[in-house]
Amino acid sequence: MNPVITIRNLSKSYGQKKVLNNIDLDIYKGEIIGYIGPNGAGKSTTVKIMLGLVGEYEGEVRIFGQNIKNGNIEYKKKIGYVPETADVYENLTAREYLTFIGELYGMDYDEANKKAEKLMDLFGIKEVYDARLSSYSKGMKQKALIISSLINDPDILFLDEPLSGIDANSVMVIKEVLAELARCGKTIFYSSHIMEVVEKLSHRIILINNGEIVADGNIEELKTKSMEGSLERIFNQLTGFNEHELIAKEIVATIRGGEPVEGI
Amino acid sequence: MKEFKYLKFLDVFRGLFQRFGIDYNTLRKILRIKLLIDSRRTSTVLTNQKKKDGKNNFIRSLGIFLLFGVFLSVFMFIRNNYLFSMSLIFSMFMFFIMTSLVSDFSTIILDLKDKEIILTKPVDSRTLNAAKVLHIFYYIFMITMALLGPAMLVSLKRYGYTFFFLFLLTAVLIDLLSIVFTSLLYLLVLRFFSGEKLKDIINYFQIVLTIAITLGYQLMSRIWTFIDFNKIELKLTWWKMFMPPLWFAAPFELFIKGNTDKNIVFLSLLALIVPIIAIIIYIKTSSVFESSLQKLRSSEGQTKSKNKFIILVSNIICKDKEEKAFYKFTTNMIKKERTFKLKVYPSLGFSIVFPLLMVIAQHFNDSLSRKSFFAIYFASFMVLDVVGYLSYSGNYKGAWIYETMPIRSRASIYKGSLKAVFINLFTPLFIFVSLVFLYIFKFGILLDLAVVYSNIFLLTIITHMIQKKDLPFSLAFETTEKKTGFWELIKVLITMGILAVLHSLSDKIRFGGLIYLALILLTIIILWNKTFKKAELEEG
Repeated sequence: MNPVITIRNLSKSYGQKKVLNNIDLDIYKGEIIGYIGPNGAGKSTTVKIMLGLVGEYEGEVRIFGQNIKNGNIEYKKKIGYVPETADVYENLTAREYLTFIGELYGMDYDEANKKAEKLMDLFGIKEVYDARLSSYSKGMKQKALIISSLINDPDILFLDEPLSGIDANSVMVIKEVLAELARCGKTIFYSSHIMEVVEKLSHRIILINNGEIVADGNIEELKTKSMEGSLERIFNQLTGFNEHELIAKEIVATIRGGEPVEGI
Repeated sequence: MKEFKYLKFLDVFRGLFQRFGIDYNTLRKILRIKLLIDSRRTSTVLTNQKKKDGKNNFIRSLGIFLLFGVFLSVFMFIRNNYLFSMSLIFSMFMFFIMTSLVSDFSTIILDLKDKEIILTKPVDSRTLNAAKVLHIFYYIFMITMALLGPAMLVSLKRYGYTFFFLFLLTAVLIDLLSIVFTSLLYLLVLRFFSGEKLKDIINYFQIVLTIAITLGYQLMSRIWTFIDFNKIELKLTWWKMFMPPLWFAAPFELFIKGNTDKNIVFLSLLALIVPIIAIIIYIKTSSVFESSLQKLRSSEGQTKSKNKFIILVSNIICKDKEEKAFYKFTTNMIKKERTFKLKVYPSLGFSIVFPLLMVIAQHFNDSLSRKSFFAIYFASFMVLDVVGYLSYSGNYKGAWIYETMPIRSRASIYKGSLKAVFINLFTPLFIFVSLVFLYIFKFGILLDLAVVYSNIFLLTIITHMIQKKDLPFSLAFETTEKKTGFWELIKVLITMGILAVLHSLSDKIRFGGLIYLALILLTIIILWNKTFKKAELEEG
């Protein structure tokens, strides 16, 4: 089977700082990839390169077999994206925003409108379809963003912290939707800091630290390799972090205005 | 669904856009959404604030341009020398267009949200950039009509249809050239700098550009030699060929008057070719533009903070803790908030260049007099813009802190922030301008400088009193947003004039300067207390 995404020797630096260092990846149809790493590890940069938002990188990125550097943007028709920054045009209503996005993907207005309205209904926020996004709660806005990323029936989904602010019931629905989409052959690139969700949801976990891939495999493989019980612990171990208790004590001491704890 | 006339108008040129490799259908959709967004106001975060009136401030601010437009139309009555009359009109016109581009529309050119939302969809950067240019063009064209409309009407009446259409065409070409030229300049800056430094450079660049536009405009009006009133001559030397207003005035000489002098033909050709070349370069480089824009979001590098100094000053000039806190807060915001700086810094450029330009020119002409000193009052223009924009911010959503924090008095928010802009923006600029004035006028003007400095503070308070009171950095910048309405603007300008006139009158009495200074200081104390006491009382 041919990979849907192939990344070879991908490096990117901003000035002196190297954000990505020789990344190699093959991603296949129907995979849910948990893409994790500490803040500033290079997760968003990888995704932004694949979306064509960041140029001037070294190496090769192929999506659906096509080198994205060649300037052809057709591949974006089959991609959905929920950005971490949750940027939307807040002065628009969901109807206006979602149909606009749908039209940019090349859909007809009516088709996009019908689909968006139906999805809003299924996500339980139909009553605000004609309200401005600026009046939405965080969870509602996040749902609208997820709808905007799914409206074009994409083959690859890039989700960056997609569940933030969404209530527990809806989280269950969305997780199930993602699993079902993967079964239909969609590829999902899932970045999050919530390890429990990543652990449960992903078929394959890629851990990136300081611009390099430090772990790649399914959760069982990672557990045997690192001899740790949970993804959270694996994450701590691989990113070289083991002093959380000490730091926590120091934080509480600082809040209460007391003396520093010995040992830091 | 709302249909915009502007879009129907653009439909005429569909074929032309497609020839440039632009996806017109997508372009149209982006533009429609942009115009729709502009027609709405962002609701404020602060829920208990009064709803603002729905009138579009942009339309109201066109009134000022229309006023200038009527003034400009007078030049249409100069007969026989189209090169002279049209280049004068165009140089003033370009001055207004370029300055409003730099100050009001830079935020559209340098917008980052579009990239994240639109470029992740199958839309190429060429189409997005064309949409940005046409979005700006929509507003620039309205300003154009306000500025040149009166002159165009006069031309239609006096010189007929050919003249009128040529006028319209050249105006559109100037608009396009100005927008594309400004964007290309930004691109150049974006290419050569990166990171945190870039954010500062952009603002300095704006100041420099504003100064350059003003200087260019001054130069333009000085290239004519007046032999007598009826005989105005222009000797075309090579450097004058670089003055865009001359290019656009030349076609009138060529087509209306039939002057086929080779210089005129050459200038006319430039009027057509330069905008076209600029547009082609812009289209070709638009993808580079988008990837360079990304740099504005990168956050590497830390700026060294001068926090200790800020804290020291706040302890000296502010009384209570809240006032100090807001002094420091405002100081940091006006120095670091990108959108705020984008809007405000160009006007700082004006405040430096206007007074200096006037006295330096007179200094070299040996026509310097006591009167020339009062040019320094032009520096107080910055008060209007800065105090007016103080309520706006790209991070307006952060304003929820006003609601949730136990702030005892709103008056101390205003006190702290007004002091902050006065100390951090007005004072350094004033010192700079003063040093040049001291060099030119010698030390006799020390008292006068003290008077002007106090007057700037007085104006700061008065501007604050006149305008609507919104909390600092609590409103969203919008394309059509103008900080101060027409009448507020006039009121402040008149006050400014009165203060300057009183200053010049104080020369007539013995110790007049000192008495005037004392009076201003007294007024400041009274107004300051009155404004903020009143505010405190209203809060209960």
